[in-house]
Amino acid sequence: MIKKRLIGVVTVKDGWAVQSFGYKRYLPLGRPEVLVQNLDRWGADEIMLQCIDRSRPDRGDVGPDFALLDRVAKLGIATPLIYAGGVRTADDARVAVNMGADRIALDAMLRDDAQEVAKVGYQLGAQAVIAALPMTATDDGAQWRDYRTGKDEPLSDAVRSMLDDGVVSEALIIDHANEGNPGAFDPRVLDAGLADHVPLIAFGGISEAACVTDLLKREQVDAVAIGNFLSYREHAVQAYKEALVGVPVRPATYHRTIYA
Amino acid sequence: MSRRKTVGIVDYGVGNQASVWRALHKLDYRCRVSDDPKKLDETDILFLPGVGAFPTAMEKLHEHDLVEYLQGEAHKGKPFVGLCLGMQLLAEQSHEHGLTAGLGLIPGEVVPFPGGGWHIGWNAIEQLGDDPLFAECDGMAMYFNHSFIFDAPDEYRVYAARTEGSFPVGVRRGNLVGMQFHPEKSQAAGRALLSALVEGLCK
Repeated sequence: MIKKRLIGVVTVKDGWAVQSFGYKRYLPLGRPEVLVQNLDRWGADEIMLQCIDRSRPDRGDVGPDFALLDRVAKLGIATPLIYAGGVRTADDARVAVNMGADRIALDAMLRDDAQEVAKVGYQLGAQAVIAALPMTATDDGAQWRDYRTGKDEPLSDAVRSMLDDGVVSEALIIDHANEGNPGAFDPRVLDAGLADHVPLIAFGGISEAACVTDLLKREQVDAVAIGNFLSYREHAVQAYKEALVGVPVRPATYHRTIYA
Repeated sequence: MSRRKTVGIVDYGVGNQASVWRALHKLDYRCRVSDDPKKLDETDILFLPGVGAFPTAMEKLHEHDLVEYLQGEAHKGKPFVGLCLGMQLLAEQSHEHGLTAGLGLIPGEVVPFPGGGWHIGWNAIEQLGDDPLFAECDGMAMYFNHSFIFDAPDEYRVYAARTEGSFPVGVRRGNLVGMQFHPEKSQAAGRALLSALVEGLCK
């Protein structure tokens, strides 16, 4: 059977891997390539490389960090790679895939150009396209955060349609306010008004195995993404997996065990 | 000691040639990534990778004048492996974004994933039949990322996977093999399969 996934996230700012706290405060961790290599070695189910400063209005749209993607690709990792950050056009997405990314997560483009999103899906297949949705939990349901303006609003019908109609395959729901804050993930962010059949990836402040278990037991949640908390010890991915009871994930491997 | 094999990776501008190259290179195979038949001729086995939509991929193969070349090499008996979309291209036709003719090397057509939607993530592959080439990796989990499947006749199916039901994810017709998943991104299990395919098909 298809397994639920544990995704290791490497957040990159100014070319350096950082420990992020609510996307407001950052501590340097080192070279992103080293973290990616660790996650690959530890058997993460997918790795997401998110470059968070590639389409900020104050910096100009600098586009994807192809130089970093190239360095990561040269590592020859054998783990599926999701790239996020600065993808402006279908061509950007295609180049990123040619360089070694397996899937692309889009955020700004969802707001800026729905037609271009459809073009990415057409060219790469919708299965390769993820909608990255920073959400803010409120008592009235989750609000969609525009990270460029800092404003919250209900998720647009256009984005809901993209997910409903299968233009993109999964929604990465980011609890942006609690990101980097241990045990702080607020499950209310998952209440974004998306149809029940839209697969979700939960991210932001997820640190405890019990929380990962609860999330992955939800039918709609196909994957959980973890950032900082995987950087604290060796083989953290497998340690999480060992603690997940009753959840269909690939077993902990520790290098040698490769059977499902 | 067996001779070091040379793998030809068909570069037609669609997909993940770089990842396939790196995976095979790490397994210590010589690799040639090219769209030039002369260079691909100098190899022991061809790999046809692919990511994206079927019509675009076929269009690119035509643009690169590779359709007849690949059909010719397949008919001559050269070992030939299609990966993911590359597997689907071996089919007679696909229904993705309308009807498009494929390379027509293995009977069958490419149809939407059963029940619609996608098949994304890690899933175990189960061997069908008793071809020793595929025995080593029976039961291993591989990484999938697709929304269409190659609905090949039973006699060509070598691996299946399950969600609600079972569906084909590996095919073989003589020297031709297709894998719906991404062995190049399936960690140790994928490396085991790639090695088995190169060594097994190049005997």
